[in-house]
Amino acid sequence: MSVGRLRSALDGGDLRRGLAYGLAALVVLAALYGLVFPETMAGDLLRLATSESTLGAALRLAVPIACAAVGGIFAEKAGVINIGLEGLLIISAFTGVFVTDAVGSVFSIPGIWVGFVAGVLASTLLSLLFAVVCIKFRADQIIAGLAVWLIALGLAPFAATVVYGSVNTSSVGTLGTWTIPVLSELPFVGPVLFDASPTVYLMFLVVGGGWYVLNRTSFGRHVRASGENPKALDTAGVDVTRVRYLAITLSGVLSGIGGVGLSLGQVGQFIGNGQTMVNGKGFIAIVAYLFGNYNPLGAFGASVLFAGLDALQLRLQQIPAYAVPSSLVQTIPYVTVIVVLALVGHTRVPSAAGDHYESGED
Amino acid sequence: MTDAVVLDDITKRFPGVVANDAVDLTVETGSVHALLGENGAGKSTLMNVLYGLYQPEGGTIELDGEVREFDAPRDAIDAGIGMIHQHFMLVPPMTVGENVVLGNEPTKWGGLATDRSRAREAVRELSERYGFAVDPDERVEEISVGERQRVEILKALYRGADLLILDEPTAVLTPQEVEELFDVFEELTAEGKTVLFITHKLGEAMTVADDITVLRDGENVGTVDADGTDREQLAEMMVGREVVLDIETESVETGGTVLDVDELTVTEEGTDQVRNVDFEIREGEILGVAGVDGNGQAELVEALTGLRSPDEGTVTLDGENLAGVSRRGHIERGMAYVPEDRQERGLVMDFDLTENGVLGGQHTPPVGGTRIDWPSAREHASDVIETYDVRPPDPEAGAKSLSGGNQQKFLVGRELERDPGMVVATHPTRGVDVGSTEFVHDRLLALRESGVAVLLISANLAEVRGLSDRLAVMHDGEFVDVVDPETVTEEELGLLMAGERPDEPTTAESVSADGGER
Repeated sequence: MSVGRLRSALDGGDLRRGLAYGLAALVVLAALYGLVFPETMAGDLLRLATSESTLGAALRLAVPIACAAVGGIFAEKAGVINIGLEGLLIISAFTGVFVTDAVGSVFSIPGIWVGFVAGVLASTLLSLLFAVVCIKFRADQIIAGLAVWLIALGLAPFAATVVYGSVNTSSVGTLGTWTIPVLSELPFVGPVLFDASPTVYLMFLVVGGGWYVLNRTSFGRHVRASGENPKALDTAGVDVTRVRYLAITLSGVLSGIGGVGLSLGQVGQFIGNGQTMVNGKGFIAIVAYLFGNYNPLGAFGASVLFAGLDALQLRLQQIPAYAVPSSLVQTIPYVTVIVVLALVGHTRVPSAAGDHYESGED
Repeated sequence: MTDAVVLDDITKRFPGVVANDAVDLTVETGSVHALLGENGAGKSTLMNVLYGLYQPEGGTIELDGEVREFDAPRDAIDAGIGMIHQHFMLVPPMTVGENVVLGNEPTKWGGLATDRSRAREAVRELSERYGFAVDPDERVEEISVGERQRVEILKALYRGADLLILDEPTAVLTPQEVEELFDVFEELTAEGKTVLFITHKLGEAMTVADDITVLRDGENVGTVDADGTDREQLAEMMVGREVVLDIETESVETGGTVLDVDELTVTEEGTDQVRNVDFEIREGEILGVAGVDGNGQAELVEALTGLRSPDEGTVTLDGENLAGVSRRGHIERGMAYVPEDRQERGLVMDFDLTENGVLGGQHTPPVGGTRIDWPSAREHASDVIETYDVRPPDPEAGAKSLSGGNQQKFLVGRELERDPGMVVATHPTRGVDVGSTEFVHDRLLALRESGVAVLLISANLAEVRGLSDRLAVMHDGEFVDVVDPETVTEEELGLLMAGERPDEPTTAESVSADGGER
């Protein structure tokens, strides 16, 4: 058997496609079944999955994932794998709450917005540190990224303990919801899309803006070139180091919006037990942008999918009729991640991602 | 006539070496100027100084009569210099248009967006003006090497280059693409541009250049008019001594059959890469294989050397069927192999020469065996270095610190010093300078005289014709014909390489594929 034949047999592109279609068909069938027989479990699930509150919650829960994912896209497209997104979410989530509580309003800007800006700033500074370590000191990007996560994971609950005497902060309230007149009156989509937390609107801006910058501006092209062939960019007279610093900083800003969106947008406090309230959302964000093949729109879709499953899982736990252990239900989003990753085979990683670049090197 | 470039007294030192020693160079505006020299003669260094990548220790650069100083390539670009590197500086997943304007994107809406239609228009206009057939919307990863090179030239032109520097532009091109490139040179000079290109191929310099400057050991040996010189003079200037360019072979009595290939077929992903290839090589015989790259030569060689098993047919070495014999088994049976790509398959770039010298011999004493005897490995490497004139002559030097030509010399040396009974050599002199090429050819001929069977695959027609006793022409996985290299003409070879079969299978030039009567 030739090597080529063996390779194509192992590749199994057809098998994968078949599985994906099969699964999609199964989901559709279940939905139809639920529609026809609303009294069954499928009916309950369908009702839950399409309820306004679940969809609204899905969008809210998608904020940290989608924002961090778009940030991660910029860093990795520029050639630096930012695995520290989780840490950036944690640090911004905590700082946002802490500053809101400690500083309060400045120049008649409400305290919660001051905290918002401070949270984003904290994440930006941490990402800048990551950038310096990776670019200037040529550290391994994966290890440096893990360090960012571990630093934040230790620092935030520690600071909370010092200030509040507990790993959880006290509650400072949320950003509330902004209701857009007229549009919010629309049936179904109105309450879901136009009566939402300001961070949800911000997420739409981040996703749309991210796509635009990446695909339509010179900076976006420089980012892509920097991740594919930095030498080509360098010889074209563009400073690769500068592009990479900017891209990583941008990943810090966007992750910051996500982190503050989580703590100030939804919960109103910082929860620091275990994996903290961020609880792996930064890592799910990495999965989301890989799933979306480095396209902000695709990453957004994946984020909503994962967040939707999370929302569904939360609702399911509240139905006593099904005696499914809640810890099993909680695994649904993660199982989906694995299944989806196994079925998505077309992700194309930027060629120079993970490589250091130094001008004038041969 | 004004001068586009005047380099005066340029000196560039690297730790331990003087790469350029007080070099003067004058290039006339609107001319094609070849910078000729062996590997390591300082050609690329000089061009990198002109392009602002290196700062010289001494000397001045004068551009269009003005003294300039370049701190970085950007300065050189702004001064109208464009450089096309040997390894293309392109972003494969981006389109041709995006690559051309990279770093100088036209923008609209006050810089908020790139103006894609304007970029496309600019690229289209430029490529039409110079007769390039490139589609600005195609992705670079989907176009041929020759087209990529044209994209690089477009990139330079888009940035307003008047002087184009090309580093070994023909190294990666097929003969047809080389022709097209030379046509491009004419278009460029007709538009008043100046072309300065680096090469170590005499023929190229003679064909396309107006003036030729020869560098040797970092010094300018002289500038000559291309029409007033000949190959012998240039070769002598390059090497510093008289060089025999024509390969002289003595007839050798051929012995018994060493390699017998019968109906060999190699299939990959459903298509036959090699189809029913049949041949025999005897002791003291060189069988050449000519053909455009990618017509099954690589797969044929892999099947012969044990890197893959043939799908059909048999390979017999010294009477033994090699089916199922491992790669190690092939080495132990005395088959030496000079692979096509020295950096991918021949050497480990991160190893030093001693370690690289062991590769393939790790199982055989005195160097290999149950453990590797490092002192004798070092000695072995030193022997190869000395015999094949590898520079620097240091067995501790890392393979990647050597120039391509020196890597190749070391690789060829390692393989040929194995005391083989059979040699499979793929492009043994690719990227090697004139002097070393002559040496490698002598070695191959010496092996032939001592009764070794050689399979020589080369894209260099002069080489395969000069060395081979019989010459097979490969097209689309098949041996189209086996001809006598002495009598076949270049035109006939060209037709065979294009897959055109001879009208009558037994023309005067044809010799039977299994050696037979000569």
